[in-house]
Amino acid sequence: MADTTGRAASATNEIEIKRLSKVFWQGDAAFRALDEVTIGIRSGEFFTLLGPSGCGKTTLLRLIAGFEQPSAGEVIINGRQVAGLGPNARPVNTVFQNYALFPHMTVADNIGFGLRMLGKSAAVVRETTGRMLELVRMEAMAARKPSEISGGQQQRVALARALAPQPRVLLLDEPLSALDLKLRKEMQSELKRLQTETGITFVFVTHDQHEALTMSDRIAVMSGGRILQSGSPADIYNHPAERFVADFIGDTNFLDVEIVAVNGRAADVRLPGGGTRRASLPEGLSPSAGTNVTIVIRPEHASITDEAADFEGTVEDAVFFGTDTHVHLRLPGESRFTLRRQNTGAGAVALPEGSRVGVRVAEGGIQVLRN
Amino acid sequence: MARARRNFSITALPGFASIAVLTFVLLYVPIATLVVFSFNEAASMSRWQGFSLQWYQAAFDNSQVREVSIRALWLAVTASAIATFAATLAALATTRTPKFPGQTMIYALVNQPLMVPEVVTGTALLIFFAGIKMQTGYTGMGYLVAAHSAFCIPFAYLPIRARLQTMDLTLERAAADLYANHFQTFRYVTLPLLLPGVLAGFMLGFVISLDTVVITEFVKSAGQDTLATYMLGQIRRTVTPEMNAIATLFLLLSAVVVVLFFILSRKRP
Ligand SMILES: Nc1ncnc2c1ncn2[C@@H]1O[C@H](COP(=O)(O)OP(=O)(O)OP(=O)(O)O)[C@@H](O)[C@H]1O
Ligand SMILES: [Mg+2]
Repeated sequence: MADTTGRAASATNEIEIKRLSKVFWQGDAAFRALDEVTIGIRSGEFFTLLGPSGCGKTTLLRLIAGFEQPSAGEVIINGRQVAGLGPNARPVNTVFQNYALFPHMTVADNIGFGLRMLGKSAAVVRETTGRMLELVRMEAMAARKPSEISGGQQQRVALARALAPQPRVLLLDEPLSALDLKLRKEMQSELKRLQTETGITFVFVTHDQHEALTMSDRIAVMSGGRILQSGSPADIYNHPAERFVADFIGDTNFLDVEIVAVNGRAADVRLPGGGTRRASLPEGLSPSAGTNVTIVIRPEHASITDEAADFEGTVEDAVFFGTDTHVHLRLPGESRFTLRRQNTGAGAVALPEGSRVGVRVAEGGIQVLRN
Repeated sequence: MARARRNFSITALPGFASIAVLTFVLLYVPIATLVVFSFNEAASMSRWQGFSLQWYQAAFDNSQVREVSIRALWLAVTASAIATFAATLAALATTRTPKFPGQTMIYALVNQPLMVPEVVTGTALLIFFAGIKMQTGYTGMGYLVAAHSAFCIPFAYLPIRARLQTMDLTLERAAADLYANHFQTFRYVTLPLLLPGVLAGFMLGFVISLDTVVITEFVKSAGQDTLATYMLGQIRRTVTPEMNAIATLFLLLSAVVVVLFFILSRKRP
């Protein structure tokens, strides 16, 4: 709101969202669908909003697209305040979850719609539509109606329609959720290819962690109308800052431990076996020695060892998964621990139930949580 | 027994068939009689003397019949068009805007002709228009057009609103997202998808206007008879098969329009 010139502070951010809130009123009861969300989305990146159903992903997209007006806060696109601008005045296009293709128009007319509304000449519309049809490999279906093509094809048409006016930003609201697994995998790489080819900033919504991890340059994890953490997929996966993030993405071991010493962004923590190990601290957290915190250890960051074990556990069972085996352990103090062993050869040591094994955590495999 | 109870069907009730037959007889025998006797050679309503088209010929040759028919059709088309236009705007306002205070009130107002007895509306219009006639001296068709338009609005409104309510709102969002302004969104997305509803509304309004006697009787000035009021006037004097012939044609026209209405309102978006 201090920004009176209309220019954003950071030129590299395509979208700047500042303390954005959206309140829905149901009679007298207020519901906060978005709660002071602040995030910058960089130019040309594949940015993913990841979170469970009802966490506010669609609401955030709608505020960016202009279908809804915020209750508070601001949206800046390409350095311009867009408050009060309708969807047709924003350089942003949307791929809707249900595709929302115009049923009374052909595939080609659907794709050309945006360009026609922008007042482009018939020649430009025809040429661009042709290029878009080629891009999504739908040349053969140009004259069909949306009801005459398959779900995956409708999806591609919706994508082409949104890309045709060459928006600065493409908003995609769970565009793959209606597709079956095989088609979804295909479309994932297709989307990634389109994003790299066009260089358009993608804001992609999903509640599928694998989709988010494999496709994104950066991910923002949302819950209850807030962004809990944002960063690269590896960053989010390896260094979750909150319990929710750790739990939502991947399999996780939570252990309650004591801080022994703190130095900078790292801390020494006392593991169940009594030994101390180095752990990473989340941003903004500097606990003092002696306090109790929760740490996260990913199952594949721990291994069974005979020497220099960090702690010991009793095998409850070992489940064979083909490429790896999940070993479930009981630790002293009744806590549970799961680790994952790569099945590298046929001669892996058997782990009978009740046997005691030593566990070693890989370097950098311990992350302290904020809560 | 248990099976019959589980698959309860109204057709299994005793007397269902006879009541159904009786209902259809009451509904359609008079109409069938009317149609049949329009082709009677004699002027009698009770004795069949042979097939003839002479009453149709007589109706076509009757300049008064021609005049009131043309007036009725012209009035129905004009009033229904105005009503459809107003009903479309009303339907858009009641389905495409956030809830505003007085929305239910507007709904009630739009549907007023469905709830108030026609004689009341007719009397009110008679008094109201009489005042205007006194002031302006104008005695043209304007009064009938206005009265019929208002009367037809709810009939046009209902199918249009029904259509709008089943229409996916994200289509209009998508249009706006693709740089269409409000008018373009309406012109290129909403209207084409709404068209079957609009046509259905127009046809319903058309039939209603063609049919209404009470309102017309109260509002019309001298020499402004429609087909409906003309027939009523004729029947009060003598009944000739000429009336049957006109009524049959009338029936045919209504049937065609109603069938079209059903076809259009069935078609899904
Ligand atoms: N128009 C509305 N009126 C009232 N509440 C709303 C409205 N739109 C959304 N909400 C509420 O806001 C919350 C966030 O909704 P949103 O659609 O953004 O969730 P989402 O993260 O997209 O979920 P999903 O993954 O299921 O699509 C939900 O609890 C929803 O019930
Ligand atoms: Mg959603």
